[in-house]
Amino acid sequence: MGIVHIDNLNAGMLLAADVHDRNGRLLLGAGTELNDKHLYIFRTWGVLEADIAGIEEGSTPRPAESIDPELLAAAEAEIKPMFRYTDPGHPAIIELMHISTMKKVLHGVR
Amino acid sequence: MASADFKGPVTLERLVDMTTTVYSLPLFYDRLTEIINHPRCSVTDIARVITEDQGLTARLLKLANSPMFGYYSRIDTINKAVTIIGTQQIRDLALAMSVMEVFTDIPKELINMKSFWRHGIACGIIARALATYRRENNVERYFAAGILHDLGLLVMCTTIPGIVREILVTCSKDGTLCLNGELAHLGFTHAEVGRDLFRKWKIPVSIVEPVACHHAPAMAEQFPLGASIIHLANIICQALELGSSGERFVHPLDPAAWQRLDIPACALSRIVKQVEPQLEEAFAILGENAL
Repeated sequence: MGIVHIDNLNAGMLLAADVHDRNGRLLLGAGTELNDKHLYIFRTWGVLEADIAGIEEGSTPRPAESIDPELLAAAEAEIKPMFRYTDPGHPAIIELMHISTMKKVLHGVR
Repeated sequence: MASADFKGPVTLERLVDMTTTVYSLPLFYDRLTEIINHPRCSVTDIARVITEDQGLTARLLKLANSPMFGYYSRIDTINKAVTIIGTQQIRDLALAMSVMEVFTDIPKELINMKSFWRHGIACGIIARALATYRRENNVERYFAAGILHDLGLLVMCTTIPGIVREILVTCSKDGTLCLNGELAHLGFTHAEVGRDLFRKWKIPVSIVEPVACHHAPAMAEQFPLGASIIHLANIICQALELGSSGERFVHPLDPAAWQRLDIPACALSRIVKQVEPQLEEAFAILGENAL
């Protein structure tokens, strides 16, 4: 068993432990085989990870951060003008710029 | 041409007066508020008022069964929806939905209504998610305030289209914030227009103030938290380009509002990820009637 991040969870995986939401409410019991709807519900309730049977701890890294540097630079250049009135040193703005850049990288730079 | 049909100075009061003579909040909202505030009202009474509006009933039920709410069992009657979601919450949802239908004849070249409501709905959903993260009660209030936060802009588009066009043109030429353009041209902003209209419509302060102060959360007196939530949600929508209300830049974040919210920066990506799958369905449910 091992903790798997929500992005790496797939239908067909077997839960090794109960899954609770942030309030501690039971969403899904141990031993359940995951399907797509479960993953949807996890996301809806803010579940970030689950304990999966038959997986070694740490064997699944978070989604690869290997992004084409050119693409990344292009995305960054595209979002930069949008943020010209914000404080680029503020932690929230740094995070938002990161999310925005990643979104551009994933969905294609115009 | 700026004010062909508008003589004399443009004041907040006149804009709101002009708007309230042409547009009005559906009578149904008054009736709903009245019945909810009645000490002896029952869930069935409330449901009866809501079900008189079939379109609203259908949309409320669709929304209640959408992933935004994430209820496991099916909510198939308004009675159930009122019981599970709550009376105040249903009232706030109904408010947002009925206001969305009020303004329909906006000149297309001024504002893209589809994009405008996408921005509003996304802001509402993100505001709701931020409130949920903070474990606030009645998160639908933030949802409604988020959806309606830029409504003042629609008022301006209907009453002073010429001036709005001028502001848009100047701002896109100079690369400045439309908000500052509004201040320079008019001396007030869309946030204040929205505030005055909502006050006139007797919408609860818990929604009016966050709308009024979404660009200046420090000004909020009674609901600073709500104002901060809408402030941040609006900025997140702008940063992720979820719809648009005409502004091309991300507004500056008020550090005090951010501090008040007490949400770690790393939680933002989680919140965005959690919200993203809910967006399209909500656009489909809420957007169809507002165009």
